[in-house]
Amino acid sequence: MTQTATTQNGLAEKVSIRNLKFFYGQNLALKSINLPLYEKKVTAFIGPSGCGKSTLLRILNRMYDLYPKQHAEGEVLFDGGNILNPGQDLNLLRARIGMVFQKPTPFPMSIYDNIAFGVRLYENLGKAEMDARVESALTRAALWNEVKNKLTASGLSLSGGQQQRLCIARTIAVRPEVVLMDEPCSALDPISTAKIEELIDELTADYTIAIVTHNMQQAARVSDYTAFMYLGELIEFDETQKIFTAPSDKRTQDYITGRFG
Amino acid sequence: MVDAAMTGLRSTGVDSAKLKRMNSFRVGDATFRGLTFGAALLVLLLLGGVIISLIHGSIPAFSAFGLDFLTTQSWNPVTEKFGALAPIYGTIVTSIIALVVAVPVGIGIAIFLTELCPPVLKRPIGVAIELLAGIPSIIYGIWGLFVFAPFFQTEIQPVLIDIFGNIPGLSSVFAGPPYGIGVLTAGFILAIMVLPFITSITRDVFDTVPAVLKEATYGLGCTTGEVVTKVVLPYSRVGVIGGIMLGLGRALGETMAVTFVIGNAHKISASIMAPGTTISASIANEFTEAVGDLYTSSLIALGLILFVITFIVLACARLMLMRMNAKAGN
Repeated sequence: MTQTATTQNGLAEKVSIRNLKFFYGQNLALKSINLPLYEKKVTAFIGPSGCGKSTLLRILNRMYDLYPKQHAEGEVLFDGGNILNPGQDLNLLRARIGMVFQKPTPFPMSIYDNIAFGVRLYENLGKAEMDARVESALTRAALWNEVKNKLTASGLSLSGGQQQRLCIARTIAVRPEVVLMDEPCSALDPISTAKIEELIDELTADYTIAIVTHNMQQAARVSDYTAFMYLGELIEFDETQKIFTAPSDKRTQDYITGRFG
Repeated sequence: MVDAAMTGLRSTGVDSAKLKRMNSFRVGDATFRGLTFGAALLVLLLLGGVIISLIHGSIPAFSAFGLDFLTTQSWNPVTEKFGALAPIYGTIVTSIIALVVAVPVGIGIAIFLTELCPPVLKRPIGVAIELLAGIPSIIYGIWGLFVFAPFFQTEIQPVLIDIFGNIPGLSSVFAGPPYGIGVLTAGFILAIMVLPFITSITRDVFDTVPAVLKEATYGLGCTTGEVVTKVVLPYSRVGVIGGIMLGLGRALGETMAVTFVIGNAHKISASIMAPGTTISASIANEFTEAVGDLYTSSLIALGLILFVITFIVLACARLMLMRMNAKAGN
């Protein structure tokens, strides 16, 4: 492990975003963002649509690299190394920083293989070990009891909420260090949402989590820190409790009280 | 009273106008339904008509030769002994060669275009493929005969003969002499002709794979190769197989280009470089010379056989797709 920055509040910064700018072609979408993600904490990104929250999330695993006209400037330090370096091994990075998407994205294969697929990319596990890994990932994602008797069924045969939990299980089965969640509950019913929020809470024991959400209550419920973004700028970043009770910026207050956005 | 009667009359007047219009709508609807139903019926009638006339026309041949027609190789207009084995063999072998060549190349092009191609090149290559599909088959025929076959004869066939000459089993499949024209050449020309179909359909179905699904796969740390083989291909396999089957359908029935380069010999050779014939090439070549009812009837019987082969191919494709879907649990 390389050196990890430690701040005045005694928390380790797993990811440090420094002077980050992001361009869609010529358009500046993020303007000099500075932000830490603390280790084993949940950081929520909130803000109105188009403010750059998802963009910021997609920089952290270099997903924007799939699209030729997008590029980022600045620094994103992950365990001390800048992941924006052109030489960064993207496959390795994405194995260490996993992502859960807005819509469930089960792969066209069995439930078991959906989990085992990502694990097989990096680890050579025997049958018994793999079975145990799949079971533990599904258990942590609160899905094991619902699918244990039909592991060979297609991942697509599950309901939307189950599919999303399958995707979370798939992400944590690879044992990443950071999990990025891009509005993971926006396509789900309240019961599934509650299950996933519980899950996020449990995951903080091992993982650093960044979550984008449109749901202010959700941000308040699940996160330790909250970043409020507006028009490509980071307006305010602080402990969630402080953001929701005594924000220091008027725009933050207006947004969380529903006056705009 | 008068007013009330007037309004009453007026309102019934309005109602009856409405009713009239409703009725005219109803008539229009019924006519429309009848017309579209008629159009749909027409397809069935046409199909039935083709089948019936093929069967009717081939009765003399089948009653003269029986099922031996399918298993006999001889094709002798002088003694009026006809057998369909050589054209059936040629049809199937040329189509298999075409698919063996065109499927990997076509899928490769499609993967490049959808996953790897720099945006600048995407359109030119796409347009070139569409244009390739638009070239009339007669042009492939003359190009095949005058350009491709001589090139094949001098450059490719000697090499193939050298490479496979010492391998037991394959040595007879690639036995010389290099004629230029022959079954293999026809297979290659067919491959070029079906390539655009397979490419453009597989490209289109690859494009239907949701971007977020690909991102999720990349998000696990997969390389492009893994994304394509583990997610894109499984997700779109139904469409890919559809594209291949469409290519196969075209290869089975293609007439003009094949007639030019296959050599039109009614015999089955162990070597795929030897001249051969296909069902459609035989029919096209010989229909004008077919004197005598038995000759004509034998050619029609060939047509019926082609029809049946094509039908079986499509039925197999359906069955395969159904099985695969059942396996995937959709």
